[in-house]
Amino acid sequence: MKKTLSLCTFALALAFSGLAAAATVGQPAPAFELKDEEGKEHSLSQYRGKFVVLEWVNPECPYVKRHYDAKTMQTTWEGSDKEKVVWLSIDSTAHNTPEKSREWKKAQGFSYPVLQDPEGKVGKLYGAKTTPHMYVIDPEGILRFAGGIDDDPRGNKETKKNYVQAALAELLAGKEVSVKTSQPYGCTVKYKE
Amino acid sequence: MTALLRSLALLALVLAPTAAFAEGSALARGAFEGDEPRVEAELVLDVDEAAPGQPFRAGVVFRMAEDWHIYWRHSGEAGLETELRLGGAEFSPLRWPFPETFDTAGGFIRTYGYSNEVLLFSEAVAPEGGEELRISATADVLVCKVDCIPALLELERTVPVGEKRPSSAAPLFDAYAPRVPEVAEDLRFSLLAQAEAERIEGRLRIEPAAWRVDGEGAFVPDRSPGFETLRGRPEGDILHIEGKASLEAADRPRVRGVARLVSAQGETRYVEVDAPLEEAPPAATVATSASLPWILLLAFGGGALLNLMPCVFPVLAVKVYGFTRMAQESRRGIALHALAYAVGVIGSLLLLALAVVAARAAGMSVGWGFQFQHPIFVALVSAVVVAFALNLFGVFYVGLGSQDLVARVDASRGLVRSAGEGVLAVVLATPCSAPLLGTAVGFAFAAPAWTIVLVFAVLGLGLAAPFCLLVLFPGSTARLPRPGVWMEHFKQGLGFALLGTAAWLVWVMGGLAGVDAMARLVAFLLVVAFACWAVGLAQRATGLGRWLGWVGATGALVLAVGAGLVPTATDDSAVPSRSLEAGAWSPEAVRQALHEGKPVFVDFTADWCLTCKFNERTVLASQRVRSAFREKGVEFLVADWTRRDETIRSELARYGKAGVPMYLLYAPQRPGEPEVLPELLTEPIVLDSLERLTSSSIAKEPNR
Repeated sequence: MKKTLSLCTFALALAFSGLAAAATVGQPAPAFELKDEEGKEHSLSQYRGKFVVLEWVNPECPYVKRHYDAKTMQTTWEGSDKEKVVWLSIDSTAHNTPEKSREWKKAQGFSYPVLQDPEGKVGKLYGAKTTPHMYVIDPEGILRFAGGIDDDPRGNKETKKNYVQAALAELLAGKEVSVKTSQPYGCTVKYKE
Repeated sequence: MTALLRSLALLALVLAPTAAFAEGSALARGAFEGDEPRVEAELVLDVDEAAPGQPFRAGVVFRMAEDWHIYWRHSGEAGLETELRLGGAEFSPLRWPFPETFDTAGGFIRTYGYSNEVLLFSEAVAPEGGEELRISATADVLVCKVDCIPALLELERTVPVGEKRPSSAAPLFDAYAPRVPEVAEDLRFSLLAQAEAERIEGRLRIEPAAWRVDGEGAFVPDRSPGFETLRGRPEGDILHIEGKASLEAADRPRVRGVARLVSAQGETRYVEVDAPLEEAPPAATVATSASLPWILLLAFGGGALLNLMPCVFPVLAVKVYGFTRMAQESRRGIALHALAYAVGVIGSLLLLALAVVAARAAGMSVGWGFQFQHPIFVALVSAVVVAFALNLFGVFYVGLGSQDLVARVDASRGLVRSAGEGVLAVVLATPCSAPLLGTAVGFAFAAPAWTIVLVFAVLGLGLAAPFCLLVLFPGSTARLPRPGVWMEHFKQGLGFALLGTAAWLVWVMGGLAGVDAMARLVAFLLVVAFACWAVGLAQRATGLGRWLGWVGATGALVLAVGAGLVPTATDDSAVPSRSLEAGAWSPEAVRQALHEGKPVFVDFTADWCLTCKFNERTVLASQRVRSAFREKGVEFLVADWTRRDETIRSELARYGKAGVPMYLLYAPQRPGEPEVLPELLTEPIVLDSLERLTSSSIAKEPNR
């Protein structure tokens, strides 16, 4: 029964693919359940009451590599209030395996989970188009930001604006997010064709 | 594991700017995968020597490995736009040839760019002085197949100053230049859309309507104000626009992009698109947001009112005859006939509804009365009308055997006749719109298929109701004189009224398809008359004569159709009739006149719309109205919908109407909100609205 149901969800997600599917800022973020690289279940609902950052990743993507070499994601998370902010990375690459995620996590030395979405279900539910593609969800489960991590796609700016950092700072201070969307950039998510 | 090692090795290569050739080279390779470059870039000029003060072109040819691509000035939903900076002269903005569309993950991610080869270039004027011209180029590109590899390419080329001579690369410039979209001064784009909170859905309107977007991949959206994401979806002649509204911008949505257009004659051109959102006027919003029960009520009322519109003239004779026939019927018989008439009316309206649904499914946009835009339909209806008239003259009989005229009146066959009258009433009386009806039908045409069917059925009920009630009203038929010889004479007289209808239809054909088609139609009607006569002879004859009559009738009709007497195509050069001195309507003409500060009156009309003609002749052409128009300096424009016209149809739809007549009066102070006048005009209505025009402009005066 559950399998049929999830198949239906998947079919629906496919049918609404493209523009319709994308999660919308200001609306409830789509619920999901995914296993991480160690096989542990994570659901969005279990983090109710905390801010959740979703980060689409693909260790093979040069843009992801650039940001991990510069430790952009790690510092963004650590610079916020780790007690109140949950960071989940999600890999929707069709050919990714938990083993690859474990190796990458070890090599990079970060602590947050890498959720396994090789079917691309959750990626399409959120309308994730690129790696990286960032989403910030508030404690009530409302999507507050969606887009690129910063305003420096080419990686050549002296000073860059980190949108996720700014959004988290504003949200933690009880303010409204001033930049709610930004152009996502990077490699296309390598979804299952 | 090897994959990981490979990507690590790759990483070292790609993260450093990859310029494989020494500085000063005009050729560079980049985006290495292992030692295989995925892109090669060459700086080219269209001259070998630059002449001071003379224009020249410089650009970079990108050659991609098979299946790899780079991006356009807007990469789409992923990827990264190509960045190219040219130095060494004052260069124009970069020229971007029309890009390809790439769909990945089954269309989930859409990007725009170039595969194989592309030339991005600029124009400049060679500076005065100096011995050589040194041009440099820096290209920052993302090269993708499944993976993406960034590349930074530095290029340089020097040409001597001298006489202007085309280089070997000049043909390359000439090959790419025609594919660079132009800013088209002669075209106007607008986005007809419903903007809801987060979704924007609509379609792109191109004026003049002779141009349309050339299918899949022929529209590529650029970054557009008010949109977060945006896609075009071609369907037949229509380009649908679907987008997500931006949360950031307070801008009004505006679609920007490039398009490959094709004309009715098959010409192709590449253009820049900049389409502002056209606010649907309040009238349309009221119509589309109205509830279905209300619309059904309007449809019923509109159908009933249609009986009183000038449009009903052509079927007046049929109706009067139908009424007088009731004199010889019993009450039960009358009820059956009324029912048959209603079935005929509703049945044919349902057929019309299905035709509309089918046309829509085929990607055609049709409006109310669209059937009259087809010459074949007009020809068939005139044939039926002529046959009906001859039948009234007694040339042949319907539903009665020749020997048993009155003796065996077959009630069921008489009912067929009543149903036929219903069909004819619909066919002839429905090309025009009417008060209430306009709103109801306008709503239906924008609604799902089942709503169209429902609205049309209720409309039929309304159309049939007055006649049914009249004949069923106790005593109404009793007041008719007793059946007798007078009926025969009266019937024949009505036959002439029907021939009058045929004359009108022949005139409609003239406007649709020209004088030649008109003459052919008259010849065809002659054959139809002959066939009726032959059938009449057959009905009266016995044996061989009977047989001969039918063969003669069929043969004559087959010959007539075979000889091409039935006009089939519209003729655009046919001059539509004009009962008024007026300019031709176009959105530009309206804008132009309003810009000059003149009020504008637009008459949406068609030759086959008798209500329109009636309004024009009795009201719009009257002395008082004419002089009032002159006095106020009103620009009078006519939108003639006799033939199919997508621009007019969509303009009608903007005001929630599906058919003509429609009258708009624009004040120059409020160019976006014309007053919509009622379908049935009177002099006071028009004069009052003109009065309001002036009073409102006086009110505005002090603010200037």
